[in-house]
Amino acid sequence: MNQEKLKIGIYELTGCAGDALLILDCEKELIDIFNAVDIQSFLMAKSDNIEGELDVALVEGSVTTEKEIEELKDIRKRAKLVVALGLCATVGGIQARFGDREEWEENYKKVYGDIDMTHTRPVQSKPIDEYIEVDYYLPGCPIEKEQFLNFFTRFLKGNPPEKSQNPVCVTCKYNENDCLLKKGVLCLGPVTSDGCGSICINHNLPCIGCWGPLDVANRTAEFYLLQEKGYDVEEIKKKMANFSGTKIAEFFKKVGKEKR
Amino acid sequence: MRVIKLSKENLFPFLEVISEKTGLWAPVRKPNSGHVFKEIDDFAQIDLDYTRTILPPKKIFLPPSFNMFKASKNNYEEDFSHVSPKILFGIHPCDIHGLLIMDRFYSYVFDDPYYSKARDNTLILGHSCWPDENCLCKSTNTHIVEEGYDLFFTDLKDSYLVWIGSSKGDDLIRVKAELFDENIAEKDIQNFIQWREERDEAFQTEINFSAMPDLMELKYNDTLWEKLGDACLACGSCTNVCPTCNCYNVHDKPALGEDSSQIVRCWDACTLENYSEVAGGENFRKKRSDRLKLWYTHKLQAYISKYGKPSCVGCGRCIATCPVDINVKTVAHTLDGDKVDSFWNRFHEEVRK
Repeated sequence: MNQEKLKIGIYELTGCAGDALLILDCEKELIDIFNAVDIQSFLMAKSDNIEGELDVALVEGSVTTEKEIEELKDIRKRAKLVVALGLCATVGGIQARFGDREEWEENYKKVYGDIDMTHTRPVQSKPIDEYIEVDYYLPGCPIEKEQFLNFFTRFLKGNPPEKSQNPVCVTCKYNENDCLLKKGVLCLGPVTSDGCGSICINHNLPCIGCWGPLDVANRTAEFYLLQEKGYDVEEIKKKMANFSGTKIAEFFKKVGKEKR
Repeated sequence: MRVIKLSKENLFPFLEVISEKTGLWAPVRKPNSGHVFKEIDDFAQIDLDYTRTILPPKKIFLPPSFNMFKASKNNYEEDFSHVSPKILFGIHPCDIHGLLIMDRFYSYVFDDPYYSKARDNTLILGHSCWPDENCLCKSTNTHIVEEGYDLFFTDLKDSYLVWIGSSKGDDLIRVKAELFDENIAEKDIQNFIQWREERDEAFQTEINFSAMPDLMELKYNDTLWEKLGDACLACGSCTNVCPTCNCYNVHDKPALGEDSSQIVRCWDACTLENYSEVAGGENFRKKRSDRLKLWYTHKLQAYISKYGKPSCVGCGRCIATCPVDINVKTVAHTLDGDKVDSFWNRFHEEVRK
């Protein structure tokens, strides 16, 4: 039987390991998950890991060292499909929020000085698709149970996973919340990928963008709207950058220059 | 139709009796937020002093997301769990009109069982209201109701005049007829006339809806649409909160560990980018301006041309919801040649111009 099952590897690069943990937290479904596929490698869950050919590799975390670049390239070579798991793998995570290289180097020096790293050399944090081709993305900080199980099950049954292109606002309205932006609160719902269940706004807290930037969002209008609501330009940029990683660096270069 | 009287202190005793075996839904204030229709377990939660709920009552008949059926290789199980008998109390005239428009979409030509079963199972107990600056229902002529309710309560300060609009409504009254007064005094009629006049004068916003189909046609290529598209956040909220927006999407949700799938239906919005995406990745309305034009064509032109009235019921939810002020009020007034104060106008003038 084992040969017929999909061979899966779950890997963690630089991140909080929250996405891998969430898979283990699917307690009710865990036996079904382990029965449905052949988990070859999953460091958080088991010790007898086999690093061979894979059907699917799920990769969490961003790339922050030269060793991780090698690991990632090796995973890509061995896996038919690679899935970016969570915010860090998808956009680079909070650790990638310093868009340009000089800024990163400056910060790095400030923290570590001129220490020569012997184990591996650190590099600026990047999402995994900076180094390898990625087939599917599961955003989230961390990913969400239902999103993961839906992806996993669709995949198992040969259906392509569906990618949500909606902002958080859609679910937020399903949950019948007042619009916080309308009330003058700095909420990033319209520019953030849906999937979290609008959990913060359900508790009357604004969206901080932790599911990462939505591809199709109208960030410029959001930026000027927040300015009109009285927020400082730097504050808006800081909030928008927090969970955007490297993906909307172009936006930050351009924004603010539209005005004549 | 028959009108009777109910003194205010008899309202809760009446609701208590009729909701013994049937779920009662009524407006409730959400903490730190607006009002919502919610199933009531304590009458003290009911707050009739509201203008509009965040979501319209369409959510009761077709929830934002629900399972339609479970399908497996040899079986098919429909799921009508949202269709339990309900009494919807405190619904305003605009929302009753909203449901009458939904009826047209979902039951006139093709019957949608998920909608019509819920509709058949729900009693509508309307309630009068007082307009705020965003209420447009006098302009849409939906501030009064002649049909679409089982009972309708008009609040005349000390008592209610209760309109009985159906035989089911009449049955409800008979459950506890002694709470009601069949005799309506001349003074009650005078009070009602006065209430109606004052209420009609309280409207602060007027829109000339009958001019909209022509103006939409003439201004189809107006720069207005680009201005709106520039500022639109494409959040879909105007659509989700609209009592007459009815589009939906259907997803398969396969079960893990067994050979079956749930077929989930959820609200969709033509203002969202992926709404018009088809197989192969082609998207016919990739531009926000095109999507807004579609939305407003539907509300202000197509429906009026076909049915003689707008598919806007004047509830003001798009005004209360859109953070960039794209709503029926600013759009209709702009089409009518007025300059409106709105974020989208300022955004165009200060940033894009």
